[in-house]
Amino acid sequence: MLERIAHVALRIGTTLAQSGASVRVVHEGARLVTSGLGAEVLGMRSGYASFEITVAMGPLTTTRMMQIGPHGVNHRLDFAVRDLAVRASQGGMTPEEISAELLRLVQETPRHPPWLVAVATGLACAAFGRLLGADWPSFVPTLLAAGLGQRIRHALLAHHTNVFVVAGIVGYFAAALGCIGARLAGSSTVELAMMASTLLLVPGVPSTNAQTDIMDGYPTMGSARAITVIMIMVFAVTGVWLAEFLLRIHA
Amino acid sequence: MSEMWLAILPHLAHQAAFGALAAAGFGVLFNFGGRTLLWCTLAGALALAARTLVQQFGGSLEAGTFVASLTTSCAAILAQRWLGPTSSAVALAGCIPMVPGAFFGQAMLGYIAVAADTSGTATAQLVAASQAFVRVVTIVGAIGAGLAIPAYLMKSRQF
Repeated sequence: MLERIAHVALRIGTTLAQSGASVRVVHEGARLVTSGLGAEVLGMRSGYASFEITVAMGPLTTTRMMQIGPHGVNHRLDFAVRDLAVRASQGGMTPEEISAELLRLVQETPRHPPWLVAVATGLACAAFGRLLGADWPSFVPTLLAAGLGQRIRHALLAHHTNVFVVAGIVGYFAAALGCIGARLAGSSTVELAMMASTLLLVPGVPSTNAQTDIMDGYPTMGSARAITVIMIMVFAVTGVWLAEFLLRIHA
Repeated sequence: MSEMWLAILPHLAHQAAFGALAAAGFGVLFNFGGRTLLWCTLAGALALAARTLVQQFGGSLEAGTFVASLTTSCAAILAQRWLGPTSSAVALAGCIPMVPGAFFGQAMLGYIAVAADTSGTATAQLVAASQAFVRVVTIVGAIGAGLAIPAYLMKSRQF
């Protein structure tokens, strides 16, 4: 029984972590499920790639670890899983029922269609461009370049390509397309259009989560997130630099 | 006084509108649902309006970002009655348009140029790149602190 409780608590925690939740939320989710099943959490440890828990029931204890998959941001799944953890904490559910409900949530929680995500991401980057001072002729080229960049990212991640390599490739293509498009549109802010086209790669949620984790007393995870953010940005900027070099743009 | 506000208004409206658009776009990318997306849009508009106002009254970008994050976080906490447990996520989405990705790009491209320089006259470029990097750190810090402080003080860090 204790092993099944530890397993479902780990699954709740790892799903929350992969959906973009902070460590405090991951631990609270696992703790709620464990207490709802009549056990007690003696300790938890969250790394960037794994999650460990020790649960106890009377004199019996067990410690289990689970791998955390790729980190992303999925707001609807995050809050659906939190809701499940709250329901489980009220008792009346077995580990198998919680596990089945979690699987259903992972499979059935709706996602926006990829074309809509691409258009929305393109619009967001074009809006970023305006906020940075890019002119109107560069608006549509930035929208198209970032939208195509998002489609490329989606396709590469679906093929399990390394996230840092994806950042480099998308950074290159989005910057190159933004530059060519802005030039053709007669923009006088080509460099801003290039930069704005790649802003879809900026990991905004992980960068604030890094600070939240450190403030909550989890500096190991916070530091790991911060380093990952810096690495992604370095790869993205390398792509932009390559596009600048090949298209003869001088900063 | 009203003349000053009339002069500020077009730029304020522009920044708020594009802040709203950027927050909504990233809200879709982060898979926010329909009603929550609307709140993200409002949070983005509020954040950029607050930042622009501070800058218009002589504040730095960093100070503006801190005040904007603080305002957005407080507003989200006060709107918890309608937002429910998603209030902190909405505040964060509203602040995403202020994340200094472009400054990071400037800093890194500047450092690459300095590394490639063989003339020995890259001091100005090094200073500019370092300034951009320091701005990245301070702005990201301002966003994080602005979002976290009200949540800690008002004890609204719900699950």
